[in-house]
Amino acid sequence: MRRYLRQVWAIAAKDLRVELRTRERVVAMGAFVVLTSVLFNYAIDRTAVHPREIAAGLIWMTIVLGGLLGLGRTFELEKEEGAMDGLLVAPLPRDALFLGKVLSNMVIMGLVVTITLAVIALFFQVDLTVNLLPVVGVLAVGTLGFVALGTLFSGISAGTRMGETLLPILLFPLLVPLVVFGVSATSGLLAGFPLSEVGDSLRVMGAFTVVAFAAGMGLFRFLVEE
Amino acid sequence: MSLATIRWGALVLALLGVGLTLLFHWQVFFWVPTEASMGVVQRIFYIHVPAAWVGFLAFGIVALCSAIYLWIGEERLDQAARSAAEGGLVFTTIVLTSGPLWGRIAWGTWWTWEPRLTLTLLLWFIYVGYFMVRNATENPERGKRFAAVVGIVGALNIPLIHVSVLWFRSLHPQPVVARVDGPTLHPDMLTVLLTALAAWILLFFALFLLRYGTARLEDRVEFLEHSGTVREGAVRS
Repeated sequence: MRRYLRQVWAIAAKDLRVELRTRERVVAMGAFVVLTSVLFNYAIDRTAVHPREIAAGLIWMTIVLGGLLGLGRTFELEKEEGAMDGLLVAPLPRDALFLGKVLSNMVIMGLVVTITLAVIALFFQVDLTVNLLPVVGVLAVGTLGFVALGTLFSGISAGTRMGETLLPILLFPLLVPLVVFGVSATSGLLAGFPLSEVGDSLRVMGAFTVVAFAAGMGLFRFLVEE
Repeated sequence: MSLATIRWGALVLALLGVGLTLLFHWQVFFWVPTEASMGVVQRIFYIHVPAAWVGFLAFGIVALCSAIYLWIGEERLDQAARSAAEGGLVFTTIVLTSGPLWGRIAWGTWWTWEPRLTLTLLLWFIYVGYFMVRNATENPERGKRFAAVVGIVGALNIPLIHVSVLWFRSLHPQPVVARVDGPTLHPDMLTVLLTALAAWILLFFALFLLRYGTARLEDRVEFLEHSGTVREGAVRS
C-alpha cells in the first residue's frame, strides 16, 4: 500500500515540479477565470438580474471552462519525445499513473477554484462568510469528480488528431449531474441554508465522483496500451 | 455466424420490419381512435415512444459489447458495438425530431428542459462523441479502445444523468404502459404501440446485422490487403 502511494506521489510530484518551474497552466487558467468573470459582468444585464443571484452558476461555469483549459493539457508533456513510453515502462501499475495525474491536476484545480471563488466574490459582491467551509466542501467534492473524469477523457483526446477540441464534446454531456447538483447545492449554501439542506445534492455529487474514479482506475489502462 | 447467414438474417428482418412499419403507419393514420384531450397530434406517440425504447436498447448493447471487447479483445464485439451505436444514433434522432413536433402542439413549445428530452439529447451527443473518437485516431486499434471507453463511461453515467434531469419538474406525460397496475392505455392504442415497437426492433436488428456484415467485410478487405495476397486496387474494384 505504501509502495503504491509512493508511486502515485512520484507521478504527481513530477508534474507538480514541472508546473512549479514553468507555472504555465496555473497562470493560463488563472488569467482565464479572471477574464471570464470580467466578460460575465458585461454579459449580464443588471437591470434584469443581479450577478449575485446567479453566483453559483457563474462559479461552476467558470470552474468547468477554466478547468477544461488545463485538464486538456494533462498529457501534453508526455506526447513529446516518447515521454509516454518512458512512463509506461516505469515499474508502476497503470491505475497508479492515473491517480498520480488526478492528484497533480487536483492540486492545480484547487488553486484555480480558489481564484475563481475569490474573484467572483469580489466582482459580484457575493458574501462568502455565511457558509465558507460548506461551500468549499461542495466545490471540493465536485472538482474531484470533474478532475477524475476530465483526466480520463484527456487521456483519450490527447491520443487523437483532434486533441483538446474533442474534450468538451466528450466531457460536457457527462458533466450534467455535477453541474445540476453542484449549482443547486452551492446556491443553497450561498443563500444561507445549512449544509444538511443540501445533503441530497452532495450525495449525488459523491456518487458521481465515486463512479468517475472507478471508471478511471478500471479503464485508464486501455487508453495507454499500444 | 457466416457472412451469408448474417445477410440472410438481415434481409428477413428488414422485410418483416418494413412490413410491420407499413402496417403500423396504416394503423396510426386510419385505424386507431383519436385521443380525447390531445387530439390528432397524439398519434406521434406511436413513432416517438418505441424509437426511444429502441435507442436505449441500442445503448445497452454498445456498453455491453464494449466492456467485453476491452476484456477479451475479440474484434467482432467491437464491430457489434459500432453497429449498435449507428442504429442507436438513428433511433435517438427519430426521438429528437418527433418529440419537438409533438411538443409544439401539446406543450406550445418546440423545446423544454424536460428530463427525458434532455436525457435523449445528451445520449445523442454521447453517441456522436463515440464516433468522433473512433475516427480521430491514427491507429484504428486505439480508436476502437477509446470508443469502447466512451461507450462504457457513458452508460455508467446514464443513471446519474437521469436523476439530475429529473431534478427539474417534469412536463413529460407520465408512463402509460410500463406501470405496476398495468397499462392505462386504450387497448387499440396499445395494439398500435406494440406493433410499432415490434417493427422498430426488427428494423433495428436488420440495420444492425447489415452494418455488422459490412464491418466484417471491411475487416476481410483490410486483412487481404495487408497479407499481400491481393493488391489494393483489386479488392476495392
